[in-house]
Amino acid sequence: MNVDRSVIRELEAIVGAEHVRTDPGDVEPYSRDATPTFRAVPDAVAWPGTAEEVAAILKLATARRVPVIPRGAGSNLCAATVAERGGIVMVLTRMDKILEVSADELLARVETGVTTAALADAAAAKGLLYAPDPGSRTVSTVGGNVATCAGGLRGLKYGVTRNYVLGATVVLPTGEIMKTGGRLWKDVAGYDLTRLLTGSEGTLGVLTELTVALLPMPATSNTGVAYFPTLADAGRAVDAIIGHGIVPATLEFLDAKCIGAVEQYARLGLRDDAGALLLFGDDGSQDVVDRNLERIGEQCTATGAMEVTLAENIARAQALLEARRCSLPALSRLGTMTILEDATVPRPRLAEMVDRIDAIAHAHDVPVATFGHAGDGNLHPTIVVDQHDDAAIKRAHEAFGEVFKAAISMDGTITGEHGVGAAKLPYLIDRLGADQMALLRRIKAAFDPAGILNPGKLGS
Amino acid sequence: MTAVDKPGAGTAAHGTGGHGHGGNIFDPELLDRCISCGFCLPACPTYALTKDEGSSPRGRITLMRALETGRLDPDDDRLQKEASFCLGCRACEPVCPAGVQYGHLLETWRDHQWRGLHRPPLARVLTMVADRKPLIRLIGAVRRPARTRESAPSRTRVGASRNGATPDTTPLTLMLGCFERGLFPGVSKAVQKLLPEISVPENQGCCGALHAHNGDSAGGVALAEKLGEELPGVIVTTAGGCAAHLATVLGRDRVHELSEHLVKAGYEPIGELTVDDGHGGRRRARVAIQDSCHLRNGLGVSAEPRALLGAVADFVSVAGDGSCCGSAGTYSLLRPKDARRVLEPKLDAVEAAGVDYVVAVNPGCLRQWQTGLARRKSRIRAVHLADLLVAAAGGRRLPTGLPLAARLPQVRLPSGMRVRRVFALRKDAAAQNTDGWSA
Repeated sequence: MNVDRSVIRELEAIVGAEHVRTDPGDVEPYSRDATPTFRAVPDAVAWPGTAEEVAAILKLATARRVPVIPRGAGSNLCAATVAERGGIVMVLTRMDKILEVSADELLARVETGVTTAALADAAAAKGLLYAPDPGSRTVSTVGGNVATCAGGLRGLKYGVTRNYVLGATVVLPTGEIMKTGGRLWKDVAGYDLTRLLTGSEGTLGVLTELTVALLPMPATSNTGVAYFPTLADAGRAVDAIIGHGIVPATLEFLDAKCIGAVEQYARLGLRDDAGALLLFGDDGSQDVVDRNLERIGEQCTATGAMEVTLAENIARAQALLEARRCSLPALSRLGTMTILEDATVPRPRLAEMVDRIDAIAHAHDVPVATFGHAGDGNLHPTIVVDQHDDAAIKRAHEAFGEVFKAAISMDGTITGEHGVGAAKLPYLIDRLGADQMALLRRIKAAFDPAGILNPGKLGS
Repeated sequence: MTAVDKPGAGTAAHGTGGHGHGGNIFDPELLDRCISCGFCLPACPTYALTKDEGSSPRGRITLMRALETGRLDPDDDRLQKEASFCLGCRACEPVCPAGVQYGHLLETWRDHQWRGLHRPPLARVLTMVADRKPLIRLIGAVRRPARTRESAPSRTRVGASRNGATPDTTPLTLMLGCFERGLFPGVSKAVQKLLPEISVPENQGCCGALHAHNGDSAGGVALAEKLGEELPGVIVTTAGGCAAHLATVLGRDRVHELSEHLVKAGYEPIGELTVDDGHGGRRRARVAIQDSCHLRNGLGVSAEPRALLGAVADFVSVAGDGSCCGSAGTYSLLRPKDARRVLEPKLDAVEAAGVDYVVAVNPGCLRQWQTGLARRKSRIRAVHLADLLVAAAGGRRLPTGLPLAARLPQVRLPSGMRVRRVFALRKDAAAQNTDGWSA
């Protein structure tokens, strides 16, 4: 669409001309986020500094029917912040203050543009833990994490972002500024709008402030690694660990191709003859951590592990976790376009799903490597192709279409933690069905009658 | 204005760059590497200033791609602006999980963006001077750096002792640097004290880093190759920026930055740097470091100078000591206001940390810090690592108190700010030289 010059002038009046950009070279960097293959150039980029400015922009956009795409750091992997229909990209990174960290109440209040790492550091300075731990924590914003309900490496024991959002200040597309939830763990007054907004991907309202729950910082943590001949063996180990009542903070897996790529990249001395690697870790008091890791090691050995090693020190434990975090970039070095997916199945069916993924990729003649969160059944099959090879990219997308179908047929889902965005909207109906899709649209219409907020995504 | 390049529901292939009407400006292999994950954003000093992604590495690569594919006009204002607004500090490289060689991309970008008359006039003048050996030697003649003479007086090692490692017999040559020899001639003399075996040929040109970072990467390679022929054996430099550029062209083995060489060759600093404790006694000095960006991000050298400093003084780790100070080669001359914006928070940090000295391992950083500290009339002094090591061993005292530049009356000139600053600094540097044996 073409945004009228008069809209831009009003936008400049709201946030100041220095916080609005419309020239081609200025808006180009906002034509994409971290999602490959998706690109759309917005008409304008605006950086509001307060909730009131956000409200004024949204009122203007609703009155003039101009799309608004809220954006944090643009590190999402589902094209949630791509301006599919043009309009105004609204960047919230100016609003990056940490307003409060309360050790007494175990909570923090932040503006939404603050990075996840900055919040975690501020909490840690007071001996507190902000548990959600997405891979992009150093760059991602807390607002973006909540909008996409980001997961991470500690999901099994600690849950995901939604488990830590107590309250939000949200600006509706029609301009109302309202607070949902608050500082309370117990609060059942009304529909749980905080929970609805979490994961709404910027389609219902714009989050400007969040109150999040913190935990006491665990005294210590440690990490270990186990190698298995096959991924099925690793899957059995995961079942055995949890079946024996151990719920560790971290339970991650890499398939053989990922191990190779990570080792080539990070040089951690990982074995090259294993079919799967299981990275496990726990935190808490020293004796609990020691005992849990020992028991996990026993279960791994009992289910056929080739080798079980515990990190000898914190630096080594950190390095192992970094190895898991760098799986995606390590794989990305194998080609020039990395397409990462996020299908999730019930935990006991993890190995079965990886086999299905390998078969599908083979049938479509695309190379696939899979890593992910074994404890959550959350897989990240990754296809690496040449970005100039349109035929291969097409085959990759077809393969992923079948991967999603396979996940759904196994009581799984099309996305565990990355989100729907523009990337997975076409597959959403397979997961939700027509009735639920219709309900989503009615909810969307109740919040956003003019349909200006992040159109072409959830609820569209 | 709108160009909605709409992908077809997740199946259409709109690559991140590359195809289309290629400009053949960039090496596609380098440009394709970026996966746009955004991990570089928190590391980028200019993104920290603006919070605008166009001023971040990821955004700049998106701009390069738009230039390459013709989506943006080559004369687009933002393209021009960002090619020069980038500090070129390469802080994005160590944090890049995908291994993007941003420094190379930037050099190519500037080659293209600054072609012909688009090249900043000052950059043209500086590279022109550095191109001409007689002019460089003239600088050295006015302010004499170290040099090897046939009838050299007996030289004893000051400031370092070998820790038992077998001496390497590879010849060692000191690179004087084209501007460092004039700005800080004492640094090369300090190196001669630390490494008496080093030879310092007078007849040496510029390493070409200046050219590579200012839109003439071909010239930069040619000069580095020439210098490699002029200087035998291992080339030791006191300029992190030059070291990184030379190493790229000549190979890592032929080039050692000073701190790296001292540690590699097994030297241990001797003595202790003390300062007046304010009660008539002496106390161990508190020192902070300013990393050289290309030394740290390009060559991975950052532990070495810290280890050396920690041996002779109380090393204070100041937040942000690894990030760019705004000097960035010619940046502080080409974009003085932005250079100052980058330095300001770092000045706050060292003042809050209560250090006595900020130590630089690159002449540009040294100049930037001396200027910034003088502007604030700070008691903290900026010194080069070589000078500090020699001073710790009792070779030559380092200056204390307000630098001369800060003690001079502040004269406000209508447009000649830079003139005053250079003048003041040179006075200041001259004052340092009369402070000890090297005068």
